[in-house]
Amino acid sequence: MRETSITVHAMRARRVDRIATSVLIAIAASLCLLLGIMIGYVLVMGAGKMFDPSFLFGKPQQFKAGGGIGPELFNSFYLLVITLIISVPLALGAAIFLVEYAPDNVIVHVAKMAIEVLASLPSIVVGLFGFLFFVLMMGWGFSIISGALALTMFNVPILVRVIQQALESVPLDQRDAGLALGMTRWETTLFILLPAAMPAIITGIILSAGRVFGEAAALIYTAGQSAPVLDFTCFDLTNPSCPWNIFRPAETLAVHIWKINSEGVVPVLTAISDGTAAVLLVCILLFNLVARFIGRTLSRRLSA
Amino acid sequence: MMNTSTGDERIATHHVSVYYQGNKEALSDVSLTFHAGEISALIGPSGCGKSTFLRCLDLMNREITGCRVDGLIMYHDQDINQHADLFTTRQRIGMVFQQPNPFGMSIYGNIALALRRHGVPKAKIKGIVEESLRSAALWDEVKDKLHSHARALSGGQQQRLCIARTLALDPDVILMDEPCSALDPIATHAIEDTMQSLAARGISVIVVTHNMQQALRVADTTAFFYLGEMIESGKTEQIFSNPHDARLRDYVEGRFG
Repeated sequence: MRETSITVHAMRARRVDRIATSVLIAIAASLCLLLGIMIGYVLVMGAGKMFDPSFLFGKPQQFKAGGGIGPELFNSFYLLVITLIISVPLALGAAIFLVEYAPDNVIVHVAKMAIEVLASLPSIVVGLFGFLFFVLMMGWGFSIISGALALTMFNVPILVRVIQQALESVPLDQRDAGLALGMTRWETTLFILLPAAMPAIITGIILSAGRVFGEAAALIYTAGQSAPVLDFTCFDLTNPSCPWNIFRPAETLAVHIWKINSEGVVPVLTAISDGTAAVLLVCILLFNLVARFIGRTLSRRLSA
Repeated sequence: MMNTSTGDERIATHHVSVYYQGNKEALSDVSLTFHAGEISALIGPSGCGKSTFLRCLDLMNREITGCRVDGLIMYHDQDINQHADLFTTRQRIGMVFQQPNPFGMSIYGNIALALRRHGVPKAKIKGIVEESLRSAALWDEVKDKLHSHARALSGGQQQRLCIARTLALDPDVILMDEPCSALDPIATHAIEDTMQSLAARGISVIVVTHNMQQALRVADTTAFFYLGEMIESGKTEQIFSNPHDARLRDYVEGRFG
C-alpha cells in the first residue's frame, strides 16, 4: 500500500518536472526565435547597402538618390570614445568608493539611491536636460561634448553598478591578505582587487558601449541632427569640419535613422534607413561578441 | 617539539574585550602573553572567540565596521591598540588565513607585491623572494616556475606560499587562523614543520586550531576559549593531561565542540 503511494508520488513528480522543463524550453526558444527574426529581418533588408563601400564611407545626400553614412559612422564611434573617456573614470571612482570606503550612513544611502534613479531615467528626459543645460546654459550648442555628457549621465550609473558587482565578487580573503601584509586600502584596491575584477569590468564596459552606441533619444537634442562634411586632413580643432573638434554637431547612426524616417526627403530613404539599421546592429553585435571574448580570455589568463 | 627556550615576552594582551556592532560582546577580558620562539595554540569550539582574538593581534578587527577593541595589546613596549602605525604593525605581525588566498598573479609576484609597495629596492627583492620561499619550505618545489601562476599550485603549496609572502616582510609574530583546515594530512604535516622551523628562528607563532591533535603536536602553550572567554591557558602538556576547568576537561575528552 505504502509502496504504491510512493511510486505514484514519484511518477507525479517526474511528470510535473517534465512539463516544467518543456515550458521553460518553449519560453527560451520563443525568445531566441523573436531575436532571430528581428536580427534576420534587419540584416536582410539592409544587406544590399551594408557591404557597399560608397554607402559605408560616402557622404550623405540631402535631396539626391544615393549618398552614404560615412560621417555618421565616424561620429558614432568618436562620440562613444569621448563618452567612455569621461564615464569610465567617474564610474570607477564612484564604485570603488561605494564598495571599499563608503561608511554606512544616510548620505551614502541617498547617493546609492540617486545612482539607481539615474539608471532608470528615460533617455529622452536626459536628452532634454542636456539640451537645457549643456546646449543652452553652458553655450556649447549642438556638439559632441554636449552629447557625450548627456550619454555619460545614463552610462555612469550602469557602469557603477557593473563595477560595484565586479569588485564585490572578489573574495573577501583577497582584501584581508592585502591588508594583513601592511598595504593600505588604496594599494589593496589598486593592486589586488582591481586586477582580479578586471575581466568583469571590461565586459561590463563593452556591453555598456553597445547601449551608448545605439542611443538616439538622448542625442537628438544634444549632439544634434546634422553631420557637417568632415575633412580628415584638417587638424584645426576649432574648425567645424575637423573630425576631432568636440564642439561641432555630430549626427550618429541611430539619430540618422530617426531623422531620415521622420523628416527625410531624399529618394530611396527606406533603403538608406534599412542599411543604416543593419550597420548599427552589426556594430552592437560585435560589441557583445568582443565583450564575451575579452572577458573569457582575461579571466582564463588570470585564473590559469 | 616541546618548549626549549622560553624567550622574551613578544606580544601580550591585557583585559582585551571585543564588541561588534550594537555593543554585542564577542570576547571578554582576555589576558594572554606570547613569547618569542614559542608556538601557541588557541583552541575551543566554533564561535568561542579564538579567531576574533587572533584578529585583534594584528589589528584586523579595525576593518570591520562597528567593531570596537578595548584593553591593552602590548607589542615591543607599546600599546598597539591605542597608538600604532597600522601599516608598519601589520608588516611586523604577519597573518596566514584559513583558506589559502594567493593573489591572482605569479608565485614571484605574490611575494614581491608587498615588498614593492613598501619601497624595498628592486635589486633586493629577488633575494628576499628566494629566502622566504626557502623558509616556507617551498623553494625546491617552485624554483623553476617562479613566474607561473600561483593558483596552479596545490592547496598545501598555496598555503606555504602565503606563509612565504608573510615571511618576506620579516615579521617577529605570525598569526595563523586554522591554516590547515583546508589541507590534506601530508600538506598539514608540511605546514606544521614550517611552524616549528619559524619558532626555532625566534618568531612567535600563534595558531588557531580546532584540531586538538595539532595543538598537541606543535604547540608549547595552549589557551582554551569558550563562549567569548579565555577559560584556561598553560603548557600544552598540562592543558591536555591535567585540565583544571571542567569545561576544558569536557572539551578535551570530546564531549562537545
